[in-house]
This record gives sequence, C-alpha cells and structure tokens, in this order.
Amino acid sequence: MSETRDILVKQLEKHARQVRRDIWRAVRAGGGGHIGGSSSAADILTALYFHRMKIRPKEPKWPERDRFVLSKGHANAGLGAVLAQAGFIDDAILDKFYGYESPFGMHPDIKMAGVEMCTGALGHGLAIAMGMALGARLQKKTFHTFVMIGDGELHEGSNWEAAMAASHHKLSNLTAIIDFNKVCQSARVNEVISVDPLADKWRAFGWAVREFDGHEMATIIDTLEALPVDPQRPTALIAHTVKGKGVSFAEDTYVWHSNSVNDEILAKALAELEEK
Amino acid sequence: MNAPDSVQPEWRLKSANQTRLAYGQALLELAVRETRTVVVSADTQDLLGIRTYIERHRDRFIELGIAEQNAIGVASGLATTGMRPYVCAYAPFISARSMEQVRNDVAYANQRVVIGAAASGVSLGVAGGTHHSLEDLAVMRSFPNMNVIVPADVDEAYKATLATLDIDGPVYLRLGGRTEEPPVTDAQAPFRLGKAAQLRPGNDLAVLACGAMVDLAVRASDALKKEGVGVRVLNMSSIKPFDRDAVLAAAGETRGIVTAEEHHLSGGLGGMVAELLAVENPTRMRMIGMPDAFAMVGPTVAVRVKYGMSAEAIADACRSLLA
Repeated sequence: MSETRDILVKQLEKHARQVRRDIWRAVRAGGGGHIGGSSSAADILTALYFHRMKIRPKEPKWPERDRFVLSKGHANAGLGAVLAQAGFIDDAILDKFYGYESPFGMHPDIKMAGVEMCTGALGHGLAIAMGMALGARLQKKTFHTFVMIGDGELHEGSNWEAAMAASHHKLSNLTAIIDFNKVCQSARVNEVISVDPLADKWRAFGWAVREFDGHEMATIIDTLEALPVDPQRPTALIAHTVKGKGVSFAEDTYVWHSNSVNDEILAKALAELEEK
Repeated sequence: MNAPDSVQPEWRLKSANQTRLAYGQALLELAVRETRTVVVSADTQDLLGIRTYIERHRDRFIELGIAEQNAIGVASGLATTGMRPYVCAYAPFISARSMEQVRNDVAYANQRVVIGAAASGVSLGVAGGTHHSLEDLAVMRSFPNMNVIVPADVDEAYKATLATLDIDGPVYLRLGGRTEEPPVTDAQAPFRLGKAAQLRPGNDLAVLACGAMVDLAVRASDALKKEGVGVRVLNMSSIKPFDRDAVLAAAGETRGIVTAEEHHLSGGLGGMVAELLAVENPTRMRMIGMPDAFAMVGPTVAVRVKYGMSAEAIADACRSLLA
C-alpha cells in the first residue's frame, strides 16, 4: 500500500470510529435504538460518504450527486452520524434522536438533509434505488446509486422482484450493498430463514457479485473504487460484517439489534471506541 | 350530443368509450408536453392501451413485469430524480399487493407518481373476487398527500390524466375495464381537481356519483324527472380532494342524498360524504354500492345489477328518501 493510501485508510478509520461513537451517543439520547445494524454498517457508510460518493453536503439536492438509499432504515443512527460528520446536518441533531418533532427518528425521513428516501419498512429500498438508477440513465446523468440492504431484510420478496428487474435492465449504475452481519431481530439469520448461498442467489439473478470484509477499510475502498464491476450488470457487494461491531459486549448478538442504553452502558461503549 | 366520428379527435375514437384506453391516449399527449414523462408498466401494455406510446417513446418506457411492489418503488425512485412516472397497472393488484409501497414510497415521501389503475370495481366481473377492486378508494383516500380521481367517461379520463401534470403530489387515477363507459360529462368543461360537476339540476334530491355510476345517476335523474321529482346529479370524480361546498350545498338544498359508486359501501364515496355530513349537517342518505360481500362471477353489468348498482336501484333509493 502506498503511503498516501495508508494515510487515507487511517483517516477513514478515524471517521468510522467517530461515526460509531456518534451512533452510541444518538442512541443514548433516544434512550435506545438499533446499535447492532448501525455499527455493522459504519465502516461502509464512512467509505461511501467520505471517499466514494460524489456529494455536496452544503447542496444536498445537487442533481448530479451520487445517491444512497438506506433500505435497512433501522440503521438510521448510523446514517445520521455520517450525515452529521459530513456536514449535511447540524451535529446537534444527533442529540435529538427519537425527539419530539425531530427530523431524526428511528427511520430515515427525506425531511432531513441528505436523506434520499423514507425507508424502514423492509424490502423497499432496492426498487427505489433502481428507479433512481433508471432516472440517471433516462436523463443521461452519470451519478451512481447505492442501496444498503440488511441480510435479514432479504427475506422480503420484493427485493427479488427488484433484483430480477435491475439485471434485466442492465443497470450497471446501481450497486446493492448487503450488510451481511448474520444476525437479525430474533436470532441468527440462518436460524430464522437461511439466506445461503447468498452470492449464488445474486449471481443467479444476473448481478455481478463481490464478497469482502465490511470492516477492513482498505478492502472496502478498493471494492468501491472498482465499480461498476461489469458494464452490463448491477453489482451486489456482499459485505461480511459483525453486528454491533466495535463494542465487545454488543457484537454478534441479536440482543443488541435494538436495545436501551443508559449512561453507564454508554461510558463502557465509548471507552472501547476511544482513539488509540 | 356527440360529434360524428369524422370530426372526433383520434384519441377519442381510439379510447372506444373506455377510460383505461383514454389514459393511454392521454400519455401520448403528455409525452409531448413534458419530456420527463416516463411510463412504467406492470405487464399491462394492452390493458392501458400504451402500445402506440411505446412505439413513439421507447426511450421513456420501462417494462417491469408482473411485480407491482417493484413498479411502485421504481416509480418513486424515478420521481426523486425529476422524472414524471405514470404507472400502468391493474387496480386490484396495485392497490392491494403494493399498498405499502404506495403508502410509504409514494404518499409518505410525497412523490409525484401517477398510478393509472385500470380494471377497477367489478369491471373484471367474470374473473371473480380475486380480480375485483372494491376497496381501493377506501385505501387510497386514507393516505395523506394522495390525490384520488375517478373519471366518469373518456373525456374526463383524458382531461384528468393531462391535468395530473400540474398536481404537485401523488395521484391514484381509478379507471374502468372493457365495459364501455358512455359519454356523460361535458366534453368542453375543463377537469378541475377538487371540484364536483353538476350534470343535472334539481332541488328535491341529489345523487352524488363517481365513475361508471355517474351515467346511471343521470338516467335515474331523467326517469324521476318524468315523475315530477328534481334530482340533482353531481359527478364526484375528484374523490380527494373533494368538493365539500358542493356536498354541503346539496345537503342543504335538497331533502336527501344518494351516493353511488362501484366500490364497497364502507370507506369510499358514500363513506366520505357521510363523514362530512355527520359532522356538518346530518342528512338523510342512501348509499348505492357493493355490500359487505365478495361479488359473484358474471358479466360486469350483470354483477352491478345484482348488487344494486343500476339506474333503477338509484331511482328506487331516491324514491325511498321521499317516502
């Protein structure tokens, strides 16, 4: 790795640690929230917003911007943390998570700057992102559309309607990122309903597929920079992640899919997320 | 009186007195007026009569197959980029299968998506209850931001489809099936969202109707006129927003109101009128529509008649209010 690349990776890792601290901060402000899926997504969200995506935080509706749809909308604490750090929204909004008339509730809302679509009801985002990608093609725009989908979310059949249609329409300007943290609300995903073999499913639906470690920043940016993988196909990036990543007691357990956080728990979490 | 075929515009001839086809014809004009128009099909190319559109504007046509949830999500995504999507779909499927996508992706997100929902009511009579759409008005009008329009004939369907260009929000356009909807509206009058059109004057009673029931309401009014009863007929094509003033005036100026719709009696036009009048001016009412049952299989008009959706039944309901 070149020296400048090494500096970039270290910068992004620092951003990601701040994102994780802000996730815990927001969830503490809300009294509880979806720590697990926000934290598993944190490194990828960071790489998207601080490296890969063409965005203008002070001009959130810039028509040429790349789009990001958080289909697994319950990870909104993670999205809010990234949007605040990137400058789309005031940092103080993070303390209004779940607040009265707050734009920052449990799920993304387009009332908040930088949020592209109201999501959270699972299985909606891929179709919406596909519409955005088609909108780019129809208007001869070059922006790329990303959508992040949870692994448990893939139980929703609407994803597969969209997966079939997106490859039929050869939408190489569309990338679906699967946050494959292997844990959903009640148990491990494959104890609930198995999604395996996941890469084969996407390949069978006509997508170009890459699997990678969703917490290894150098790998994440290499993967995102290589898009599109195939000029005739949409790309599915299967990110192997750990639910609750970064805080030992929250990792890899459905208990921290969504949980309440008090000051004591917050202090323990932040201690693990301090700059080293 | 209608103009002879020789002087009718081409779109009107090709609409063949079917609102679903008038929508497809209007899309040809929309595509010229607004270059961001894009038509989204759920394997409904003949249902909405869009094959000519596809020939002329293939670059602004997206076929998505038999996947209504995806069609609505894609339309929402397209709208966020500034495109103006027009969905072509079956009413029974787009209003039920993809209801959550309509609620969240379109209504909640307030995207400018127009849903052309054909084969509504019992227009697919022989197809049976799986293919009837008798709850879609109740569903769609319950969503904030949603505009709901039920054209009564091809003139109104054509004008209403064109009018959606200026509606800043989502639209559910309820269209008929293969049973003809005879001309009943004033072809020269503009379509006005939120306004009822009076098709017959009268101060004894008022019939408030939408869709295919408007023609039947006019026939009932004409029949009762011969009995010396003046029955006002209002075309309530704009279900949401709706013309409160016209409804309140009808209630205040007549002895009773009959509503008529090809929809379940709960939650549709009759429910909407009753909700308003119960609060503002309790009024004697009769409601014509589908009772709380799944409709039988049969030809569309026969199914309508069986469940009381006929000119005779509307006239009888009027007479019962005078008794």
